[in-house]
Amino acid sequence: MDFSLTDEQKARKQEFYDTCKELEKRKPPSFLGFETIYEDDECWEYNLHCAREFAKKGWLALGWPPEYDGQGDMMDKVLFAEARGYHGIPGVDIFGVQMLAPTLLQAASEEIKREFLPPIARGEVMWCELWSEPNAGSDLAALAATAIRKGDEYVINGQKTWNTGAHKADWGFGVFKTDPAARKHHNMTFILFDMKTPGITIRPIPYLDGHAPYCEVYFDDVHVTAKNIVGQEHEGWAVVNLLAGFERSGINEIMSMLRGLEQLVAFCNQTKRHGQPLSKNLLVRNRLAELACELEAARALAYRVADLQNRDEMSLMDASAGKIFFSELGERFAFLATDILGPYGQVKTSRWAPLDGIWERMFHEHFITTISMGTNEIQRNIIAWYGLGLPRMR
Amino acid sequence: MDLRLTETQEILKQSARDFLTTECPKSLVRELEQGEMGYAPELWKKMAELGWLGLIIPEEYDGMGYTFQDLAVLLEEIGRSILPGPLLATLTSVFAVLEAGTEEQKRELLPKIAQGELILTTALLEGEGIFDASGIAVKAAPQGDDFTIDGTKLFVEMAHVADYILCVTRTNTGTSPEKGVTVLIVDSTTPGISCEVIPTTAEDKLCEVRFENVKVPKKNILGKLDEGWPIVETMLRKGAIAKCAESIGAIQACVDMTVAYSKERVQYERPIGAFQALQHRMADMWTAMGTSRYLVYEAAWMESEGLPCAKEASMAKAYVNEVYKNVAKWAVRLHGAIATSADHDIPLYYRRSKAADTAYGGTDFHREIVAQKIGLT
Repeated sequence: MDFSLTDEQKARKQEFYDTCKELEKRKPPSFLGFETIYEDDECWEYNLHCAREFAKKGWLALGWPPEYDGQGDMMDKVLFAEARGYHGIPGVDIFGVQMLAPTLLQAASEEIKREFLPPIARGEVMWCELWSEPNAGSDLAALAATAIRKGDEYVINGQKTWNTGAHKADWGFGVFKTDPAARKHHNMTFILFDMKTPGITIRPIPYLDGHAPYCEVYFDDVHVTAKNIVGQEHEGWAVVNLLAGFERSGINEIMSMLRGLEQLVAFCNQTKRHGQPLSKNLLVRNRLAELACELEAARALAYRVADLQNRDEMSLMDASAGKIFFSELGERFAFLATDILGPYGQVKTSRWAPLDGIWERMFHEHFITTISMGTNEIQRNIIAWYGLGLPRMR
Repeated sequence: MDLRLTETQEILKQSARDFLTTECPKSLVRELEQGEMGYAPELWKKMAELGWLGLIIPEEYDGMGYTFQDLAVLLEEIGRSILPGPLLATLTSVFAVLEAGTEEQKRELLPKIAQGELILTTALLEGEGIFDASGIAVKAAPQGDDFTIDGTKLFVEMAHVADYILCVTRTNTGTSPEKGVTVLIVDSTTPGISCEVIPTTAEDKLCEVRFENVKVPKKNILGKLDEGWPIVETMLRKGAIAKCAESIGAIQACVDMTVAYSKERVQYERPIGAFQALQHRMADMWTAMGTSRYLVYEAAWMESEGLPCAKEASMAKAYVNEVYKNVAKWAVRLHGAIATSADHDIPLYYRRSKAADTAYGGTDFHREIVAQKIGLT
């Protein structure tokens, strides 16, 4: 067991932190966390600016093989995520850089890799994911949208939903039924397409706070070249599973929470209640300490996950455990922070909002992590079935 | 970074598991709980032969010279098999002697501990049952070449079989409770010492130790006069991590037994492990185990590297205390009524989760340390 970094890694880490610290100074006031890039034009511009800065350094291709202009290894990727998380910097497209790129590297043809990886590395093309449908959520394989092969094209029809940032994205990746007669799990294909293709209609869905980070997307006879597929035709389910396995280590979210904790501690030290600083309140101390313990446990687990990924030994159950723990820690933190802030915990960004109103946002934003990428209940099934070997529900 | 066990650790872990599977069946655990001594001297000798008792004692004192992290790996296996006995009590004293002992004290104590000839324990708590220096009131008064100890210590682990007791005493009332605390190495056969086992949840032989006019030579001070509290802090910090290592082994056992039973036990014509109500609980138990393990490994690694880790040790203890109790509780619940029977193995773990929780400081004690370390003024 060795948690230490090499001197080289320490130097890299410093470089990541320094760059992110600089970028933080240019944050627009409306930037209040990752989701705001999809809600506000200024934040989206900031996201693109950060992406370009990272691209210049080659950091959007961390862990890629050298033949695709990659640099560094998985550990560098983790240290980079750590720095971005702590300073709250966007610019690494969750769909393009984090999910699609590693999937392409493993499952796509050479031609597709050569076409789609470089623009991702240059931070030029932003992606979105089109998986869920109104009647295919957790049971994704029950999807209905079709992509019927006509010559060297697919013609896509149907509806996708809960597509984060689809209204901002340049390209999308999705799964569609290509062989409706075939049995479940062997009837769909993983397809890449330009979001500006005629026949695509994007409608933002207002989130419960009125903002619109995600969309529903309608396909009406959308023609896509048949070469834009990943994996085998009709075997898109395997690609979906592969991509889902590229769970991030979670360190990004954890470092962001750690920064949040630091800010909350400073707030408690400076803010008087009952004639004394909040930090003297024993309940506040105890509850914040409890959270700090969980956060450290999460950080140690994220390193464990990174260590497994680095050796390509990551298991489904490890990924699921991390996802459950990190996302539910976010829930608990949001509840705790808004408790401590009292009536101010409900104030949206305004002159009455402490800490820029970030905790008011967190009070509802945490659902995004507990529900997306496989609900936490599905993750528990995965641990039970594939990890603990318990009988699978039929 | 490489969070796998080292080759040495893998060997240590496997040999410990093999040894304990044969030597420490649950029948022995029950027998020792019910017996007076609370440990098996023959087994203790065998543990010495395996090098376990001197695992972290440097080779110059006839130990193995392994790291603290290696010890954590061994303790995980000990916790898994819930071996009763004075291992952690003795180790905690070793932490103190290694940190503060004179060369003479080390030569006198450490080789014999490594050989299994001496059992040590530490007398810290008193009437209030708190782990702060303000709880230390038992006086050691200077008298010629001796100190005279008078007063009662409580919850002293395995004191009834210990050869030496590290007694944390009040020798001065200074500007703060931490000043004026002195640790004395007390021969347990000294006249005036009496000992009584307190009945506890885990039947783990925590003792009331009464000192009446007990004379201890001044040369038996461990560390410096009035400046013993930092030694206690070291014992609590290392002891907390060590106890956590035991606990994650125990948590693993609870998870393994529960998963296995849920695959065998049939109700409604199917194994109860097929029901999602149980599956999700077990997934949560497994997840909690994973989060505990790497938090403890991190603290153990820092301790091994000599990095300051008071914060991480307290975080680990505060966290694992709650995880162990909860996992053991759910292990009982998911087994159902069968696991409330005294003959079942699960309750052995459940009862120990309380003992593990209070040893080396409970959850709130450690959370307060964490509160300070994260910068709450």
